[in-house]
Amino acid sequence: MNVLEIHQLNKRFREHQVIDGLELTVPEHAVFGFIGQNGAGKTTTMKMVLGLLKPDSGSITICGESVRYGETKSNRHVGYLPDVPEYYGYMNAREYLALCGEITGLPKKRIQERSGELLELVGLGSTKKRISGFSRGMKQRLGIAQALLHEPRLLICDEPTSALDPVGRKEILDVLYAAKGKTTVLLSTHILTDVERICDHVAILHGGKLALNGTLSELKEGHRQDGYALEFRSAEEAARFAECMKSNRFAATVAQEGTAIKVQLQLSGTLGGGQSIIGLLAHQQLTPVRFEALEPTLENLFMEVIQ
Amino acid sequence: MSGYYAFLKKELLESIRTYKLLILIAVFFIFGMLSPLTAKLMPDLLSSFLPEGITLTVAEPTALDAWMQFFKNTSQMGLILTVILFSGILGTELTRGTLINMLTKGLSRHAVILSKLTAMILLWTVSYMTAFVVTWGYTAYLFPNDVPPHLELSVFCLWLFGTFLMTLFLFAATLVKSSYGALILTGAVSALLAMVNIAPLAQKYNPLILALNNTALLTNAIQPSEMYSALTVASICFPLLIAGAAVTFKKRLL
Repeated sequence: MNVLEIHQLNKRFREHQVIDGLELTVPEHAVFGFIGQNGAGKTTTMKMVLGLLKPDSGSITICGESVRYGETKSNRHVGYLPDVPEYYGYMNAREYLALCGEITGLPKKRIQERSGELLELVGLGSTKKRISGFSRGMKQRLGIAQALLHEPRLLICDEPTSALDPVGRKEILDVLYAAKGKTTVLLSTHILTDVERICDHVAILHGGKLALNGTLSELKEGHRQDGYALEFRSAEEAARFAECMKSNRFAATVAQEGTAIKVQLQLSGTLGGGQSIIGLLAHQQLTPVRFEALEPTLENLFMEVIQ
Repeated sequence: MSGYYAFLKKELLESIRTYKLLILIAVFFIFGMLSPLTAKLMPDLLSSFLPEGITLTVAEPTALDAWMQFFKNTSQMGLILTVILFSGILGTELTRGTLINMLTKGLSRHAVILSKLTAMILLWTVSYMTAFVVTWGYTAYLFPNDVPPHLELSVFCLWLFGTFLMTLFLFAATLVKSSYGALILTGAVSALLAMVNIAPLAQKYNPLILALNNTALLTNAIQPSEMYSALTVASICFPLLIAGAAVTFKKRLL
């Protein structure tokens, strides 16, 4: 079951085609990382999903219900956390949640229960002061509480951590991770470490469409290259090893930089590549200080995709 | 519907906590006290300002003078203050983005317009009534047994004009981006109505006379029947302005 489906979505601002035939599906119970550069169209896409912006063409469905601009019916399945949430400063957190709950049509008793639970979860349980006195991190945490209040099936977070300090960021990510079991999370961000920490699905938006899409492990597997990094005690040893690699006619590119060597085997996918290097090391009686198989990182993937 | 009530509650809480209600009631209470008082003291005040030796015969003040003061105060300062106090009611929410969150929670845009309008009209009514009741009581005390004719109609006319003006303002606020823009637009329409008032033919249909002819009604210079056309026009404009506000706001890009 897909919580969110986007088909052939297009949006143009004057000359600039921001979204160009976007196809995106978010499966249930995923933590979906939606990555892109600043201005790639992440916020534009989310606003269209929320019915706040009119798409030029294409269809968006949330839990099987299609989204129409200016109408907000489909939003009852959605919790939305804006990048910098704005509240009514004259209310306190509990009053704000009560307002949100009443608008969504939750019964009074349920609002009280949920408010208590959620404020506890985001660590605002004991705060009595009005929102005008909240710090940015507190506002962001209240943002999560209001977004989760009606137990939405899809939680959309628009760069929730970009304005926060490291502590605030960790708190937000922890809360989002805790929400994972109950709801599907669509997390837009350009902070790749955040994605690696909590997301299981990743999509990279570039040039108005998805340049990359899949589970994090799939993507890494698909982009695995048979590369190794070695480090020797001295530059002479490193040079000797590089020489041997060449003379043994390995199908590989070898790059030396002082005592460090990077080997890129061309027969990718053959796991035996590493073994043959170890064999060569043993044969030459060379002991490296460090021997490491290079794993693709999300950063590498991202850089590769947006070039 | 539940969205409308919830948001109306929020609007009312807002006017209490941001002191709008307090300011309005205080100012209109002062208007209410001041109107009969100025009427009563005006002859004394005038004579105290005159140089010695000159005597001015001023007619003994009556309840009519008190009500003239009341209409002057509420129709000018009162209405202007009310509109200015409410000037940010939609614009601020749009520029700050507080409304986005409410809309994404399923609050309909119609409910936003209707609850804001209800709050404005409610506050206008309460403050206007405060001024009226205070003036009425104080006038009855200062000038006993003296009630000018057509007072109820006259008071109702100004109330309806105030309601019309609030609706006009809200419609303007859905058309332009900033709160100041909406104020300017409302001012421009009022100025236009004032210009229309020069043409004798259009005069009797002009809603503006609901706020201009109040004292004329009390002195019998104008008969109630002469107000009916303007009352009808204002009553027809009211739902049209609401519909206009609802439609433009629904299409508006946030």
